[in-house]
Amino acid sequence: METQNARDKKEAAVEERVHLIVFKLGTEEYGVRIDQVKEVTITPEITRMPKTPSFIKGVANIRGDIIAIMDLEERFRIERAFKEPERHTYTLVMEAKDYTMGFIVREVPQSLTLPVSSIDKTPSFIQDININENFIEGIGKLDDRLIIVLDMYKILTSDEVLQLKS
Amino acid sequence: MKSRDQEYKEIFIAEALEYYDALNRHISDLEKNPEDEQLLAEIFRLLHNLKANAKAIGYTSIADVSHKLETAFGMIRSRELSFSDEVVTVLFDGIDMLGEMITGIDGPNEVEPSPALLRNLDIIVNSLTDNSSDLSKVQKYYTSKNLSLSDLIYIQIKKLDHLLNLVGELIIDRDRIVSISKELDHDDLKNVSAHLYRITEELQYSVMDARLVNVGSLFNKFPRIVRDIAVAEKKEINLDISGQDIQIDRNILQIITDSLLHLMRNAISHGIEKAEIRKKAKKTPQGNISLSAQNDRDTVILRLSDDGKGIDQEEVRRAIVQRGFLTADATKDLRETEVLSYLFEPGFSLAKEVTEVSGRGVGLDVVKNAIDSIGGRIKVDSKKGVGTTFTLFLPTSIAVKGALLCQVEENFYAIPLMHTDSVVAFPTRDLHEVGELLVADINGETITIVSLRELFNTDIREYSVKKKDLTGDAQNIIIVTYNNRKLGLIVDKLLRQQDIVIKALSKPVNTIEIYAGVTLLGSGKVCLVLDVAAITRYFITRR
Repeated sequence: METQNARDKKEAAVEERVHLIVFKLGTEEYGVRIDQVKEVTITPEITRMPKTPSFIKGVANIRGDIIAIMDLEERFRIERAFKEPERHTYTLVMEAKDYTMGFIVREVPQSLTLPVSSIDKTPSFIQDININENFIEGIGKLDDRLIIVLDMYKILTSDEVLQLKS
Repeated sequence: MKSRDQEYKEIFIAEALEYYDALNRHISDLEKNPEDEQLLAEIFRLLHNLKANAKAIGYTSIADVSHKLETAFGMIRSRELSFSDEVVTVLFDGIDMLGEMITGIDGPNEVEPSPALLRNLDIIVNSLTDNSSDLSKVQKYYTSKNLSLSDLIYIQIKKLDHLLNLVGELIIDRDRIVSISKELDHDDLKNVSAHLYRITEELQYSVMDARLVNVGSLFNKFPRIVRDIAVAEKKEINLDISGQDIQIDRNILQIITDSLLHLMRNAISHGIEKAEIRKKAKKTPQGNISLSAQNDRDTVILRLSDDGKGIDQEEVRRAIVQRGFLTADATKDLRETEVLSYLFEPGFSLAKEVTEVSGRGVGLDVVKNAIDSIGGRIKVDSKKGVGTTFTLFLPTSIAVKGALLCQVEENFYAIPLMHTDSVVAFPTRDLHEVGELLVADINGETITIVSLRELFNTDIREYSVKKKDLTGDAQNIIIVTYNNRKLGLIVDKLLRQQDIVIKALSKPVNTIEIYAGVTLLGSGKVCLVLDVAAITRYFITRR
């Protein structure tokens, strides 16, 4: 919670726009803060890793670092928009304190800046659905678009991910 | 290669020169601050170490001068001798003399200490009065002081670790370049990559070599430790140490230090019998323990043998049943080596009484985990009444390991050679179904056979393979050994043997038990390294 508070304070001082990387999961748009994203790359070859949950697609070599790759649609049980396989997918490389992990998205992620005031703190009932454990930081609105802002740091550190024992 | 003696000599000189520099610094400070107790204590310590080192390597004259100086400083410390001008001059002369003698070791003529100086030292030590008139002028050997820097440097192991990691990364890239250049079939590129290959290989071995230390640096601590434990246990132990000059990676030696100590404590307190019992058994009253090291290609073999009471197989069998590992029936079928392997299971201890030095609940499983963590192997042989031998197979170096590459479905996997026993193409019809598992009789041994494909794709609790699940007339089986147990792994395809650099898996996938790490192949493909220990453990519990 400390980091969250620190972050809030910082924003209050600058007022403020927040820079997001926006991507699609299923038919909805999701966003993460750009400072949580290390890089966006075309998904490299993934080596399947038996004995891991199905939402872990395997491990991949990204610039010499071998990192785990997760499929957020499977993780959140979001139905995929198009069933046919894409030519290639993209990987968001995200950094937690002591490790790095990749998240697959199916379309090219976009960069977007929103005024902080346009992000509503999450209504509590949304917290009950599949994307639980308060992974949702808020709902951002831009014109008629609705962007679900995820707190990637919480996804990366959630117990479920950290205790991946088969 | 330099001879071992030459190397010891160089290390001694480098250390001694460092002491000499420090002594010079401290004595100058002391002259300004004669009351500084800390400086005095430090000078005393330096001289004492120098004396001990010189004595150990056989430079008696250096040891002698150091001893005299040490005595003098000891007296200054206890205020029996005042730090007067005359005394200071003699002490400075003495330290200079030491410097001369140390640098003289490598010179053409050995420097003898000046008799006048030795006499002066004796005078200040022996005459408690200020009888300075007896001191004679010491003729200096040198005309001008030569400044020189040591040929040896100390380096933090952390820096060497970093260097080794970088080399590991470099090798991965090199292999990639070599394989690309083969694909492109370009002559210049091929030449350059061949050269790159040779250079990186040499670089790798140089870094590995820089990390090697003598096993003796650990072994030589044992005589004292053994003595202390023996005294506490009221036993007499005759310790025989050999192979001290075998070399091994410093970190590997560090990791097994506690394990070796643990085994030694066990040997003395549980292995060796009390003198009266030994006499009845027609053994020498002192227990004999030998600690040895030897090289076998890329492996260092450490062996700790005692001629004590040995391990009682029947007692172990009973303990296996008591602690609920196996049923009484199942233990009857265990071979001797298998019985002993249970000693390494967590929570398995035969110690009935807790003694001061061992039997505090830290079992052999801890020893085994330490050895597993560096990709080593441990084996125990024991005969009741005759003695016990623990054999540790350790990699010489951490960085690069030989591995067998195989394919299961679309993935490549590596199995460290440390754990492979042999490879066979085994006729499917000769496999036998026992419950949900397959077994095979290979060279007279009944070995459990596991299909990696099935292991990867089903929950371990539902693992079941029948002959009809297998395709093909023959199965490619890699026989692995772990903790005296053998297991056959069916793979789709055997690829090749290769040196690999194992990287640790990062979070969150680092907790999956069956992987020991990951490596990058020359093709850039990610290859998972299987943890034979974990896979074997899965199937032991099933039996």
